[in-house]
Amino acid sequence: MDKIPVLNWTRDEILTRMEAGAQFRLHMSAAEFVRSYREGRTEDPGQVADLLALAHLLPDDDPLFVAL
Amino acid sequence: MSRSELDLVLGEVRDLSERYKAGGPEAFDAFRELTARLLSLSVAAPYATVILSVGPRGRDTQVLSGRRGIGDPLPLNENRGYLRLIMTLALVPVEGRRLLKVMDAGYQYQLDEAGDRWVFRYDYRRVPPDPHPAAHLQIRATPEEGCLPPNRPLARIHFPSGRVSIEAVIRLLADQFGVPCNRGPILWRPVLAESERIFHEIAHLPLSGPER
Repeated sequence: MDKIPVLNWTRDEILTRMEAGAQFRLHMSAAEFVRSYREGRTEDPGQVADLLALAHLLPDDDPLFVAL
Repeated sequence: MSRSELDLVLGEVRDLSERYKAGGPEAFDAFRELTARLLSLSVAAPYATVILSVGPRGRDTQVLSGRRGIGDPLPLNENRGYLRLIMTLALVPVEGRRLLKVMDAGYQYQLDEAGDRWVFRYDYRRVPPDPHPAAHLQIRATPEEGCLPPNRPLARIHFPSGRVSIEAVIRLLADQFGVPCNRGPILWRPVLAESERIFHEIAHLPLSGPER
C-alpha cells in the first residue's frame, strides 16, 4: 500500500470547521458546543463526531477550552 | 486465490497489528494501513482510502478518516452508500511505553455523502461525559410498535453495544446489507477474523453506562 501523507490542520482551519458545523447543525457556537459536550448535555454526540474529533486536535490550553 | 496469497495477507495483517500494538510514532501509520487494507479487501470502493489528520496538539493525537479529511465518508462498492469512519487515536504512557489507544471511534453507514440519510451508527468514547453507553448503536428507523417516549425518535435511542470493531462493521455491511466486496469471502473472512482477534486481545471494554 502506498504511503499516504498526514493531513495537517491549522488552528484556524479547525475553528472554522467547528464553528460552521456547530452553527449549522446545533445552532450554537463552537465554544458553546464544547461546553455543552463537556457538561454531558450533547444529546447526540455521534451526530457531531467530526467536530469532536477536530476538537481533539487542539491542545488542552487552547483558548477555545480555556474560555469555558 | 491461492493458499499462499491468504498466508501472505494474514502475514501482513499480523505484522501491521504488531506494529500498532508496539506503540510509538510508527503505530499510527500501521493502524491506518491495516484499516485501509481491511477495507480495500472488502467493501470500500477501489479509489477509497483512509488518511490521518494532525493539528496543533501535536503528532501524539491523530484522527483517522476518509481521504479528504475528518468527516469525509468512504464510498462503498457499486454506489451502495458510504461508511463515515472517524477514529481519534492517541499515544498514551503505559509502564514506560507510549501505546496507541483509540480514544473515540464512530462508524456510520449512510446512503448519501452528507450523512443526512444515515442508517446505523456505532460510537465508542473512552471517556464519555454524557450518560449514554460508552459503546452504543443507533438506528435511524421507525419502530413498528409505539414504544418510544415522547419526542424521542428511535434514532436517538443509544443501544448499549459493547465494543464493536471495524471488522464487525465490515462484516455487517457485506453479509447483512449486501455491499459487494473487492475480494472473495475465502480471503476477507479469515483476514477480518485474524485482525479482529488481535484487536480483542487489547481492546478496552467499557461498562454500558456511567458508574455514578
